[in-house]
Amino acid sequence: MPQHIKRLLGVFAIFIVLFLVMRQVLKPSSFGKLGHFRADAIYENTLKPMHYTVADSCTKCHRTIRTEKDKGFHKNLKCEVCHGPGLKHSLFAGQFKVGELPDSLKLNKPGERKDCGVCHQKNAARIKILFDTINTTMVRQIDLAEHNPPDLKANEPANCIDCHNPHQP
Amino acid sequence: MNEDSTQLSRRNFFKAGTVLASGVAIASALTPYDGLLFAAEAPGAKGKWYGIGIDITKCIGCGKCANACKQENNVPSDPFYFRSWVEQYTIKNDGSILVESPNGGVDGFKQSVPDAEIYKSFFVPKMCNHCAKSPCTQVCPVGATFETEEGIVLVDENYCIGCRYCVQACPYGCRYIHPEKGTADKCTLCFHRLKHGLQPACFEICPTEARIFGDLNDPGSKINYFLKNHTCMVVKPHLNTGSKLFYNALSPEVR
Repeated sequence: MPQHIKRLLGVFAIFIVLFLVMRQVLKPSSFGKLGHFRADAIYENTLKPMHYTVADSCTKCHRTIRTEKDKGFHKNLKCEVCHGPGLKHSLFAGQFKVGELPDSLKLNKPGERKDCGVCHQKNAARIKILFDTINTTMVRQIDLAEHNPPDLKANEPANCIDCHNPHQP
Repeated sequence: MNEDSTQLSRRNFFKAGTVLASGVAIASALTPYDGLLFAAEAPGAKGKWYGIGIDITKCIGCGKCANACKQENNVPSDPFYFRSWVEQYTIKNDGSILVESPNGGVDGFKQSVPDAEIYKSFFVPKMCNHCAKSPCTQVCPVGATFETEEGIVLVDENYCIGCRYCVQACPYGCRYIHPEKGTADKCTLCFHRLKHGLQPACFEICPTEARIFGDLNDPGSKINYFLKNHTCMVVKPHLNTGSKLFYNALSPEVR
């Protein structure tokens, strides 16, 4: 074999070894285990904190509200729909006495016209009938501008919860 | 130079070809190539294979799903970062189509067109389709986004270089660059909740149960019941993305 070919082969060998060493150092250990990605990333994605809980964890303590809610139209609604994410509340609120709950554990108590209007403000796309297996229900549509308009003179806009019980509307 | 070495006779060509082909066959039998295995077996043939159903006839556009997603996943509250959002489609009597999504529907919707002008109007909740042949994972130059065995498309935040290829590749616009992390971010189908046996936040929260989630491989699952009993369609079927987000009563206007 000519001399220059031998030298060239030597150079190639050095490059290949260098590539393999660098690949070993730079490649994350779990890369390529399950495909062209880091297999550890699947586990890392499970580590993110949760904020929402499940409906059962609310009714363990708030039993009276549950029995109240079960009779009304809002029986299929989960508590967190209106009250916001409640995992922290459900885990730690039990340690405090009634009335001593710190603000960080308190949940939303919506009841203004705009809060109820999120579902109940009249909208052409919202008038639809919800079928479930037993009965047929419909999300009540209300024109907030017409329905019991706020008294402007008194400067106290009437909230929905002044007249309606949100747990049993 | 010898003439034989430069000119390959037919006999020698077949000889060399046979040796090469049998060599490849033997080598692939010894160490099967992953790519061939993947092609032989459909993804998700074993184990769980998650699918999503959205019933447009039931969606009342309250935007609770978009709101829940932002809070559960710490998505920036600015009105242009969304993993899940709701659009209101209004088709007017003159045939023009109006698509609205004020703040992704997080604060609810207000009807902007008077009733008399509306031919029809409906809400379309949007989110990652978790495609089986997802364009976004195919374009990633570093392998920072991938599909899990359960059919969930995830992002590896520690490996993403923020090149924005995947944001452009997604035909459904379901990805964004996280302003603080500088990496791609998208719906994970609340992967951290699934591992605890819980539903994703948007499915948990939907007040009218317009969102259905379940295992497509399980014949008794909610999603299979939903698909059996409704006429379902995916968005942009012509792109052949293998979308697993099925809409009931999807209008052709939805893009």
